[in-house]
Order: sequence, then C-alpha cells, then structure tokens
Amino acid sequence: MWYVVIAVIVLLVIFAQFIPFDPNYFMFDQLGVILKKMFTPKGNRTWGDYFAYMWTLRGALLDTMKMSFAGTVIGSVLAVPLAVLSAKNIVKLPVIYIPMRFIMNIFRTIPAMVLAIIAVLFVGTGVLSGIIAITLFSFGIMAKMLYEVIETIDMNPYEALESTGATRMESFRYAALPQILPVYVSYLIYIFEINVRTSAVLGFVGAGGIGAVISDNILYNYDRVGATIILIFFVILFVQFLSNYVRGKLQ
Amino acid sequence: MIKFVDVSKTYPNGVQALKDINLEIYDGEFVGIIGLSGAGKSTLLRSVNKMIPITSGQLYVDNVEVSSLKGKKLRMMRRGIGMIFQSFNLVKRMSAFNNVLTGRVAYYSAARSIFGFFPEYDKVLALEALDTMGILDKAFTRADQLSGGQQQRVALARALTQKPRLILADEPVASLDPITTLQVMDDFARINKEFGITVIANMHHVDLALKYSTRIIGIKEGQVVFDGLPKEISDDILIQIYGRSLRHDEVLGE
Repeated sequence: MWYVVIAVIVLLVIFAQFIPFDPNYFMFDQLGVILKKMFTPKGNRTWGDYFAYMWTLRGALLDTMKMSFAGTVIGSVLAVPLAVLSAKNIVKLPVIYIPMRFIMNIFRTIPAMVLAIIAVLFVGTGVLSGIIAITLFSFGIMAKMLYEVIETIDMNPYEALESTGATRMESFRYAALPQILPVYVSYLIYIFEINVRTSAVLGFVGAGGIGAVISDNILYNYDRVGATIILIFFVILFVQFLSNYVRGKLQ
Repeated sequence: MIKFVDVSKTYPNGVQALKDINLEIYDGEFVGIIGLSGAGKSTLLRSVNKMIPITSGQLYVDNVEVSSLKGKKLRMMRRGIGMIFQSFNLVKRMSAFNNVLTGRVAYYSAARSIFGFFPEYDKVLALEALDTMGILDKAFTRADQLSGGQQQRVALARALTQKPRLILADEPVASLDPITTLQVMDDFARINKEFGITVIANMHHVDLALKYSTRIIGIKEGQVVFDGLPKEISDDILIQIYGRSLRHDEVLGE
C-alpha cells in the first residue's frame, strides 16, 4: 500500500517538471477583477436588474431540466435490456453477454461533451441535441451500474420460483425484480442529478439550455454570467437535496 | 408414486453423484435421506423435479417420466411439487404475504403474471397457508425481519399454496437452532399427516431423521446403502452409511 503512495508522489513530482510553472500565470489581481465583474451589476444596470435577470433565465433553466429529465429517463429505460443481457447470472452464455458488455463500454467511454458535439452536428443546436447527448450518456452509465446490481442479487429465491414451475421470466419478475427495482430507481435519481450539472455545461457546445446562456454572455457580460452561475448553484443544490431525500426514503 | 430406475448422474466436471439408483417412494410417506455431505443427497432430491437433470436411467413421478419433460409440461409437473431450502430462499424485501403469493405464479399465463395481479382466490389461499403455519400475524412483515423459524414457515406456506402432492426439503432445518428445529419438523410432520402430502427430506441430523421419518434412505457415494424403517437403523448400519461413527454435529441431542 505504501509503495503505491510513494509511487504516486514520485510521479507527481516528475510530471510537475513538465508543467511550466510561471508564478506570473496566476494573475491573482485579475482573478479579483473578474470575480468583481461577475458579482456586481455592469455599467448602468442596478441590483434590481441583476436579480431580475435571473428571472429571465427561467426558460433556459426549464430547458435544461427538460433535457436532463428526458435524457435520463429515456437513456435509463433503454439501458435495461442491455444490462439484463450483460448479466452473467441471467443469460449464462458468454456469446451473448460478452458482446453486450462491449457495446456498453463503448457508450461509457465517450464523454458527455463529445456526445453533445456529435449530436449538434447531426440535429443542429438547441435542446434536442442536448436530449440526445444526455440519453446516450445516461444509457452507458445506467447499463453498467444496473448490470452490476443484477449480478450481485440473491439468486436463491429465483431458484425457488423456478422449482414451483414458474418460467424464467416469471422467476425474474417475482424474485429478481423486487431486489433490483429499488436500486434502479435510486440510480435513476442519482443519474438525473449528475445530468442537471452536465446539461448546464453542454450548452457551451450548442446543446441549448442554461449553458448556452453562459456561452452567449461570457465575452461582454460578466455580471450576467455571475448571475447565471448563482442561479445554477442554487438549483443544483436543491436537486441534490431532493435526490438525497428521496433516495434515503427508498432504503 | 416416485420411481427411480437405474438412475445415474454424472456432472460435466466428471463427478458421478448418483450411481444406479433404484428406489420406490409411495404416497404419504415421510422419507428421511441421510448420509455424508457430498454423498449425493442433494442431487437425488433435485433430480425429482428436474432441477438437476439425470444423465441415465428413468425417473417416474406419478407414472410420468421426468427426464423427458420440457417446457410447459415440466413446469406443470413442478407446480405440484413444493421445494423447501436450507436458506429459506425468500425475497427478503417482500412481505411474508407477497412471498407466499409467488407460489401461485405458475398457475397463470406469463402475460397475466408479469403485471402482478393475483385473483382473490390466490390471496385467500396465501392467507390460509400462513394461518396453517401459525404466522398469520406476520403476514405483512418483511421477510428479512422474521426469525429463521418464521422464514422457513413462510417458505412452507409458499409451498402449500401450490397445493402440492409432494414436498422436497433440502436440509430444511440445518440453519435453525435446536428448539426451532423441532417446531419446524413438527410442522412438516403435521403437513404430511393432515394433508397427506408426501415428504422427502435430506437431513443432516440423524436422530432427527429417525424421529420424524416413516422411512430412512441412507446414501453413500451416490448409492443407496440402506432403505428401511427407522427402527432398523443400528450403530453398525450408521457406520456403513457414514463410513465412521457419527460426529457431534450430526446428532441434535437432548
């Protein structure tokens, strides 16, 4: 264990040599200027304008929520057959579960941003590309998390149900599903929470929602950027709070 | 009702678990199967409902040859056979009532079962089964909040809803404490006598098997080395079955 720690530290030191560490880069004074620009109204705008601006963002915010919700749900539903077919204890035949896992891994390795860029190339900018990106992103995450759950469930009641004369599907429905469903819903909420944050950023590459607002304003209207960030922060805080509460109840 | 004719089972890894088994088990019997771990007791039990398929010979249950059954016919045969496991095999998150209800799943078409709608008849049956086992008051408690003895009773109730003619029990009391063990074995005896359900049970504790069975079958290395009445068992015969004198844990005691 200690060897790992030492190895990591040594590697860090080595890599640090290749990073041009120029104290001038830090520009702390600039940081102060930018922060001030973000969190005070610009020019003739008042504090009233600053907060009123947040209200105008409600459309974009709703788009972001719609993107996250739709993408999460659609992607997670599509992930179910893939996860079931990737589970060794359900399909048993390597000729099925190995290719399925391969497909799953492809989706998991592509970052959300890249998916968003590709989606924009296909369907243009706007919320639709965001939904597509989030769908594919969620698909990969949910499939992986779900198949791992499926493989760790207690198969004993499944065997018991088969012994009563139930079909494999019925045995799955009555013995396996009750173990999987609560975890699935918990993951659904967790992935939604991740996606709210992800989709806020996807707007940068044209996928719409609140990220697009930031990307539009980033050059000349720092105060609007700041206002947007504050809004996003509280929305995400709220979503996380809700998510933890509901998932706690599920246990 | 159950007839083994020259039945053998060799597993894919080469292990021969059953060698030329010839047995006849009659309706209403309470058969206790004893023998060392790995002697073939579990394989023998599970071959009756084809949970483990045999590799040669014929196995008849009510004059139907089991090893030739497939698909729907196999499932219909399994419907009439209840199975009890050492680790209870209940769905832990579900209530006792819902666990017992799953015993009826095989009686409906797949389409109907998927949605989880059970007719009143089934629900009443489930409640009656729980009542028969004396745990009606625990009907809506989660299975994992019940004691071992209660869980095994839920499993028995689940088997009863199948309206079985036969119950196969694989070391049903091995996970229970001595007092609960006797209570559950009493339940088995009651089901056997009152409902006329044939019981075939693998048992780890020899004295328990002798006490509750109407017939004892001793298995050693995949073969039947004893088939007779409990009172015919002597220490010599036990040494024949186990290859040694009994260990401390193979006798329940008291």
